[in-house]
Amino acid sequence: MTEQLSRRDFLKLVGTGAASAAVLTGCGPASRYVTREPYTKMPEYTYNGQSTYYATTCRECAAGCGLVVRTMQGRAIKVEGNKYHPVNLGKTCARGQATLHSLYNPDRIQEPSSHVRGDRDFSTTDWDTATGIVAEALKNPAETAFLLGLAPDHLFDLVSDLCKAIGAPAPLRYGALSLFEARTTLGEASRIVFGKPDLLFFDLGNADVTFSFGANFLETWISPVAYTRGFAQMRRGTNRRGYLVQFEARMSQTAMKADEWAAILPGTEELVAAALGKLVAEQKFGSAPALFEAVDVAQAADAAGLPLETLERYATILAQAQNPLVIPGGAALGQSNGLEIAQVILSLNALLGNLGKPGGVYHSPASPLTNSYRRPASIKEISALIEKLNSGKIKTLIVHGVNPVFELPTSLGFEAALAKVPTVISLASFPDETAILADYVFPDHTGLESWGYQQVSAGTGQTLLSGAQPVVAPYYNTKSTTDVLLAAAAVAGGKAAAALPFKDEIEFIQGKLAGLVGAEGGFFNAADMPSFWAEFQQFGGWWKNDPSLGTPSAASALEKKLTPAAAQPEGDGEFHLLVFPSPILAEAGANKPWLQETPDPTTTVMWNSWLEMNPVTAEELGLTDDDVVRVSSAFGEVEVSVYKVPAIRPEVVAIPFGQGHTAYGRYAENRGANPGKLLGAQINAAGDLAFAGVKVKIEKTGKKRPLSRLEGRTRLEAAENKG
Amino acid sequence: MTKLLEYLKKPGVQILLLIGFLTVISAGVWGFYQTQTSPEQPILFPHNIHVNFQIPCLYCHPGALRQASAGLPTEQKCWACHGQLKKYYQPPVPVEQWPPELQKLANYVKNSQPINWVPVYQVPDFVHFNHRPHIAASLNCETCHGDMSKKTVATVEETVNMGWCLKCHRAKTENNLQNNPNNDPAITTQLSEKRTKLLDCGTCHY
Amino acid sequence: MAKHNIPEVKADLENTTGIWGMAIDQDLCTGCQACVAACAMENNIAFVGETDAGYGRSLHWLRIEHAFEGEFPEVQTSGFQPVLCQQCGNAPCEPVCPVFASVHSQAQDLNLQVYNRCVGTRYCANNCPYVARVFNMRDYDRPEPLSNQLNPDVTVRRRGIMEKCTFCIQRIHKVEDQAKSEGREVLDGEMQPACAQACPADAIIFGRLDDPESRVSKLAKTGRGSQLFEDLGTLPRVTYLKEEKDYGRLG
Repeated sequence: MTEQLSRRDFLKLVGTGAASAAVLTGCGPASRYVTREPYTKMPEYTYNGQSTYYATTCRECAAGCGLVVRTMQGRAIKVEGNKYHPVNLGKTCARGQATLHSLYNPDRIQEPSSHVRGDRDFSTTDWDTATGIVAEALKNPAETAFLLGLAPDHLFDLVSDLCKAIGAPAPLRYGALSLFEARTTLGEASRIVFGKPDLLFFDLGNADVTFSFGANFLETWISPVAYTRGFAQMRRGTNRRGYLVQFEARMSQTAMKADEWAAILPGTEELVAAALGKLVAEQKFGSAPALFEAVDVAQAADAAGLPLETLERYATILAQAQNPLVIPGGAALGQSNGLEIAQVILSLNALLGNLGKPGGVYHSPASPLTNSYRRPASIKEISALIEKLNSGKIKTLIVHGVNPVFELPTSLGFEAALAKVPTVISLASFPDETAILADYVFPDHTGLESWGYQQVSAGTGQTLLSGAQPVVAPYYNTKSTTDVLLAAAAVAGGKAAAALPFKDEIEFIQGKLAGLVGAEGGFFNAADMPSFWAEFQQFGGWWKNDPSLGTPSAASALEKKLTPAAAQPEGDGEFHLLVFPSPILAEAGANKPWLQETPDPTTTVMWNSWLEMNPVTAEELGLTDDDVVRVSSAFGEVEVSVYKVPAIRPEVVAIPFGQGHTAYGRYAENRGANPGKLLGAQINAAGDLAFAGVKVKIEKTGKKRPLSRLEGRTRLEAAENKG
Repeated sequence: MTKLLEYLKKPGVQILLLIGFLTVISAGVWGFYQTQTSPEQPILFPHNIHVNFQIPCLYCHPGALRQASAGLPTEQKCWACHGQLKKYYQPPVPVEQWPPELQKLANYVKNSQPINWVPVYQVPDFVHFNHRPHIAASLNCETCHGDMSKKTVATVEETVNMGWCLKCHRAKTENNLQNNPNNDPAITTQLSEKRTKLLDCGTCHY
Repeated sequence: MAKHNIPEVKADLENTTGIWGMAIDQDLCTGCQACVAACAMENNIAFVGETDAGYGRSLHWLRIEHAFEGEFPEVQTSGFQPVLCQQCGNAPCEPVCPVFASVHSQAQDLNLQVYNRCVGTRYCANNCPYVARVFNMRDYDRPEPLSNQLNPDVTVRRRGIMEKCTFCIQRIHKVEDQAKSEGREVLDGEMQPACAQACPADAIIFGRLDDPESRVSKLAKTGRGSQLFEDLGTLPRVTYLKEEKDYGRLG
């Protein structure tokens, strides 16, 4: 055959035959293998083939947006926003949309299991054994520690009650976002300046001039959907279009939306804010208050790398504004003098007279269940926990809703401390780094499968308790952690059983909600628990119709004396390193394939991490796009591809946080770099890490690793199309 | 290419090609035939008995009235009647003595197992059929599904393909004596608008 | 207006307003990608992985473009611009399709992609000035149980098929059907494609262009509006409202 008919021709012939067979039969027989499976017992309200919508709360970050999930035949199909929910009013972010990829992730942990630490083979146990193991831990309360996720949810309340009753150390809440937002610093500054610790509410929507010091409120900061709504309202403006000036060394997505980007050197925020304060005070009142008196404006401008005229112009804009607002963001507060920076910025608001006024600063409403703001753990408190783990005082560590091995800076030594704990129990839904290093994994349901509520700490002016309910039945043999703890407490007996006398999770939640039944001023009023419970599920929570914001008072804040200074960076490298949470992946999005494929808003890079570098710097170092460099600080090093971008200061480089997992499923593993390895251990006066005050060295490796970018495609193809 | 032509002139090759061609055609015909035959069902459901008891179609397939899919009844619904039929409960007859098909149902219900019905009328994934507008346009179930009072298991009554859909869509929107007896210009416009919609690709394919 | 070597706009099309249209306020768009994710979740768009994405084979029906201009410290951005199929009234993709897979819907005035007709010539994508069409180079893997999330109202495309934004036509049908069953017209704002529904800044406004009172018609007529490559005569149904940079704009 080869003599007469070339292989190529033969393939053509076969190809034609196969193609026509496919065309002719393609529409046919496959359909005969399909069967339809009706419900055996149909849930109430459901029609066959028609969607049912359930209201719940998004668990992808701690902001607590309300969701309405479209389900069909028992499957969750699409996430939509809950249009009544005060935080997001029907809107969602990309992470919220992709929460379905948590639920149906192919790498979920499917059943309770135990394994050898570090091993990826899990051996199945059953829930009774699991309950017994947790009960053992509860019998030795002084030697048991809980580390929970950032969201102040019903589980946190339950564990807090439990720990208090049995005398265990109070549970710590932590997430990488609390580190990058320096939440403790903001709360502490609020306590010092306004006399009340609080994640303040910044009324962006009604402000006409907003100065933001590194607050990436359009990306991940505190409550991004709520603040994006506020931003849109500000831009639409009732009288005039709101004006936004962003102070940070790298042009973030938020800075790209700003009218002006003031690229100040990291660590000079206090100088700049104080100088602005002085200039504004002089323009408005003729003289500066004691707080801002000492600053030398020209020196401050020089240190920050801003022309003096620009700084003066900014001051004029601020002084002439009707509703000015200044926001302290995470990148500004994550400095060695972060607490002072936060104080100066909050005092600047007091000087502008916007406290408790539209477009100004308010105290967030308290949760309907507690009176005080319960902040997440600072790095100082986490370090204390790590010390305890190292000293062997903790025999059992129970981790839920957070992946500390990845989310804590490596320099804190959490991984090494974990090795010294005899029993580590992870309640993760995914085989993340911490679960791999645990002895037991007792998987909780994912967000869309579980009951609960969440106290919303910021983002809305209304008192709010966001409600969660399962939208689909649990897909795997997972069990709610609340139920595990309730069962374990019953087994452990004694104080634990007495503290948690609940039949199941729902009874516990209803117990907490009892105080709201019959409460006045709510979105709905219900006289008894069954009807309250029904409406709580129907509307996705309970909230008051009218805002209940508090007016901060800063009586003596401006009278203090202050000598502003620049922050002290850590390390002896030549570049300032800015680590920012990836706007798309944030701390836990890396295992969701569609988030990986969603282009980064500023660089359009997909599926990887990158090092942002100014082209001038790149040229000096002889680097270009896609060159792999070794970035090293005193604490560690990572290798990452270069992405040249003009919108960053030449002496600053930036790496997004969110990639660089060594575990966490097929989509996250061995992808990109984890800049957490570079972060230091310098702690500011509030106990937060000075993550934005690290200096690094950059070395060429000679390797190249191309980044997948969306922009390359469109540029290239459009050019080709136009010929 | 000339080599190929020479090769094709050989009778053996031609016969082979013919066999291949026939195989492809018959596979295609078989595939199409498959979509137009009635499949085997887990239970030989006697539609005729139920219809003759005056149970309306929409009692078990209520979706046809309001949505795309007509829907299949849940076992709960089956058992709502079958769990209390006079014939088997007054006095009670053990399940083992019930007719075989009803025994199957009883077992499904007892084990809470879903019945995996095989769809009879079927369109490919890229066709989005909706029952509601068809019922709203005052079509009867039997127009497409045949007279169920004479059938046990549902069978395919019509050749379900796009030509069949369009034939009806065309006929119902034609400006003729049947659709517009008085040649009313308002109805003419209406019919033409309807026709645009009913012949549009995007109405069913998306 | 610049002369281009393209077919003349058909005279009868020039005065049509279109039926469905969209206005995108670039002053409000924050580039957050919520629309991109929402579109993917609604329309069963497959993810392609890092390598194929690097080759430009990702299947985004909607992408957000922007560019940096200038050198530090005088860096400006062009503003975020979500680009999707513009649902042209006089679409360049339609006349080039040899199998009529890329056809114009007379009923909805949309550009359709009929998947079962498409044979993958990719002529349409090559002729689209907006690079709005994407091609399934492979059968992309969707490991179980991810398929549970597929929207039953939207066809799952396979290898060799061209696809693009449909203005969420499945939702249009649903809303129209609902309105019809209740004996009323579709209300303004009732029909929301997945992207507009998710947009936290409410920068995407969707509605009927043939209703002069609808929100989208009014926005499209404000002085800030422009269309992509207007001079090509493609009659896009998406209007971009340009970014404002001056301080103190009224209203």
